[in-house]
Amino acid sequence: MIKHWKVLILIVMVFGSLFAVGLKIYPYGRNGVQVIYVSPESPATGQIKQGDFITHLDDQQIQDMQDWKIKTLNLEGNRILRVNGRDVFLEFNKTVGIDVLDIDRTNLNLGLDLKGGTRIILEPAEDENVTSDVIGQVISTLETRANMFGLQEMKFSAVGSDQGGYFIQIEAAGVGKNIVDDLLSRQGDFEAKITRVVTLVNDTGIFKLGDNEHDLVLDGENLIVNSEEIEPDEFFTLDGIEFQYVNITDTGVFLLGKVYESKDIELVYTDPQRSGTQQLGPETFSFFFTVLVSQEGAERFAQITKNVPSYVDLQSGQEYLDSRIILFLDGSIVSDLRISSELQNQVYTTPTVTGTRTTLEDAIQERLTLQTVLRSGALPIKLETTSVQVISPTLGSDFFESAAIAMLIAGVVVLVVVYVRYRSFKASIPLVFIALSEVVIILGLSAANDMTIWGAVLLVNATIMGIAWWKKETIDIYVMIGAILVPLIGMSSWTLDLPAIGGIIAAIGTGVDHQIIIADETISGKKKQKQYDTKERIKRAFFIILGAAMTTIAAMIPLAFLGIGLVRGFAITTIVGVLVGILITRPAYARIVEIMKAKE
Amino acid sequence: MNYKAYMVIPVILLVLSVGILVNEYSQTGEFFKRSIDLKGGTLVTIKLSEPVDVAGLRAHLTAIFGEVEIRELSGITGQSLLINTNVDVDVDDFLDEISSYGVDVVESSTQQIGATLGEAFWYQAQMGIIIALIFMAIIVFLIFRTLVPSLAVISAVIFDAIITLALMQVFGIPLSLASLAAILMIIGYSVDTDILLTTRLLKGTGPMNERIINTLKTSLTMSITSIGALIVLILFGIAEVLTEIASVLLIGLVIDIIITWLMNAGILRWYMERRGIA
Repeated sequence: MIKHWKVLILIVMVFGSLFAVGLKIYPYGRNGVQVIYVSPESPATGQIKQGDFITHLDDQQIQDMQDWKIKTLNLEGNRILRVNGRDVFLEFNKTVGIDVLDIDRTNLNLGLDLKGGTRIILEPAEDENVTSDVIGQVISTLETRANMFGLQEMKFSAVGSDQGGYFIQIEAAGVGKNIVDDLLSRQGDFEAKITRVVTLVNDTGIFKLGDNEHDLVLDGENLIVNSEEIEPDEFFTLDGIEFQYVNITDTGVFLLGKVYESKDIELVYTDPQRSGTQQLGPETFSFFFTVLVSQEGAERFAQITKNVPSYVDLQSGQEYLDSRIILFLDGSIVSDLRISSELQNQVYTTPTVTGTRTTLEDAIQERLTLQTVLRSGALPIKLETTSVQVISPTLGSDFFESAAIAMLIAGVVVLVVVYVRYRSFKASIPLVFIALSEVVIILGLSAANDMTIWGAVLLVNATIMGIAWWKKETIDIYVMIGAILVPLIGMSSWTLDLPAIGGIIAAIGTGVDHQIIIADETISGKKKQKQYDTKERIKRAFFIILGAAMTTIAAMIPLAFLGIGLVRGFAITTIVGVLVGILITRPAYARIVEIMKAKE
Repeated sequence: MNYKAYMVIPVILLVLSVGILVNEYSQTGEFFKRSIDLKGGTLVTIKLSEPVDVAGLRAHLTAIFGEVEIRELSGITGQSLLINTNVDVDVDDFLDEISSYGVDVVESSTQQIGATLGEAFWYQAQMGIIIALIFMAIIVFLIFRTLVPSLAVISAVIFDAIITLALMQVFGIPLSLASLAAILMIIGYSVDTDILLTTRLLKGTGPMNERIINTLKTSLTMSITSIGALIVLILFGIAEVLTEIASVLLIGLVIDIIITWLMNAGILRWYMERRGIA
């Protein structure tokens, strides 16, 4: 058995790939649909979110996306949806407003052109001065918006063109152009509020605001301010500042005073002097940026903070106010910052926001997020749409079925041609099987979430090679590299789009060609060229194969690294396919042919 | 027969091809017809459930939006229409007009690319081909380390690429990112057969004619298996991108047989006779 260790490694790789593609846990069963978007008009808003699995409608199993479309057409009345295994009761009035996709049956990372969805490429308007930092801001802004929309699956990426310009690519699987358009035009509502706690004695307290004092009286749950009765969560105005009475705590009445809203943030600086990140120590990275706020906002800040006590932070030695400033976007809290006591009672129109994080990436990310929130989610530059691609999900639905049939028929064609040439199935059947195994391995390598599987394959391969070495079997440096390198490639994953499928075809094409060269050197040459033994001929075949594979890889490398790279999938798949070929499958094929020859 | 006489055929093919490209240039100002992803424009792909009057649809759309082209793609899995225009149109209006003509656009995909992005892609495509050719040439020189055989392989590859580009014009296949990828594959395939030939002729044993015939058998088996598989793929018509890649590869492989055997084999024989190797 171990004599054929090269073949063993191929078999291990094929099984590893099958597991990588197909091994998947279905928490709520294989049938059903996966939610990708719930529109605000849908009765399910707030109850069903992106990523949920819907399996039943009124106790009827939903098979797939097509079935869902039929079952939910003009849905009316009280219905029960089983979402993630629990029942959700909803009243429908013809509008369903839930966009879904089929549940992924494989771990393959399918591209938009196979799955359906929208791809938009944006470019900065001509007169904009664009740096990579600004592009980072734009992407952060769009990500924040997508999160508000419940579209966490949307992918944003910056792509530079060789002429120095920038493009921003948005990929949204399964959703239509209208949703992406909404996302692009959407702007949020920003508010910053400062906390104040007023201590009460016998249900009465004094609220000091700027130079004024206001009496607060508690009446049961309610608060009486200036003889007006305020219920919890209600708003009231004092000295031109809007306050919210949140609740009563152990220490007193908890209030939130609004200091800034969208129009008060006049500018969020992004230049390196006023916005940046620096390392303070090991695992301490600080970020800072300056904001220009309106005079009114600055005055409100001074008024609210004037009478707030402060404390010293024992870790940093800095002095902070007891009050904090809370940032809201569209009513949800997005951040909560401390206020340096130096700012107390100052009418300061250019405050600086600072903070620390344990890694540089986190610090940069936090700065970008806060800058985005302060701009109320507005984009820092004007963008123009330069490319729109909308792919209907049904266009790709029967793709794999027809691709599989086409592949099998192509396999038969190859089998016939090779049989006609050598009049022997001994060369042609293994050849076709090896070609199919190459397809499986390429798919397996591209699949996602497969660290453990490929880790296991790596271990098994190492064991096989160890035993082969122990038993003093012939060493093959290509296979040894391949047995280690290919599982490592498997640990990463890449998107399978239509060009990548083209790449698989290309790789298999060269693969078959090379196997023919091997078959030829061993089988057809046997009568005339007695002076060569089989090993010698296979060595010559590998010289040809290696040269050819290297040129193919060389031709593909530019495609893999060119800026925007819509055919990157083609290039990567071809390169990986050729590598799998020279390092795993061709040596195994050569070994199989050798075995067959030896038996003659 | 004299193998030197055969070498004229690839040269004639090359001259004809350059003629086709130059003719295209004199008429349109560009050597190749580029698809919208390398130029900018709008492409709508519709999967048809029933036959459509293509000429009528083209006239209808052209009257409203300006120059519109329609290609039909049919295969075992069904029929699709590829409607494209370089005119700046609103995609939604465009789809509305198509459906008002009675074509069901539910199963449709649209792709719109702005002129600047298209130009950026085109620039990258040109760079891609040039860099690929340079890399390929370096590797070929490293493999053979002799001038004439290396030059023969490289010129065969360039001949193959140019003739394939010209034939794409003839068959109405525009240069797109997909067909560009196919051209790069042709470069790879072409080098495959050339390296096989060169290695077998220079390093093989036995009489020269026998070496050539043996290599021809191997090489033809390789090409015929690939051609067979590609024809299956084209007949299936699974997706436009795949059909396009397969068609270009098919053209390139056929040309490659001609170039390798009529030109490259000739050059090598002549080189070996002169050096007294054969």
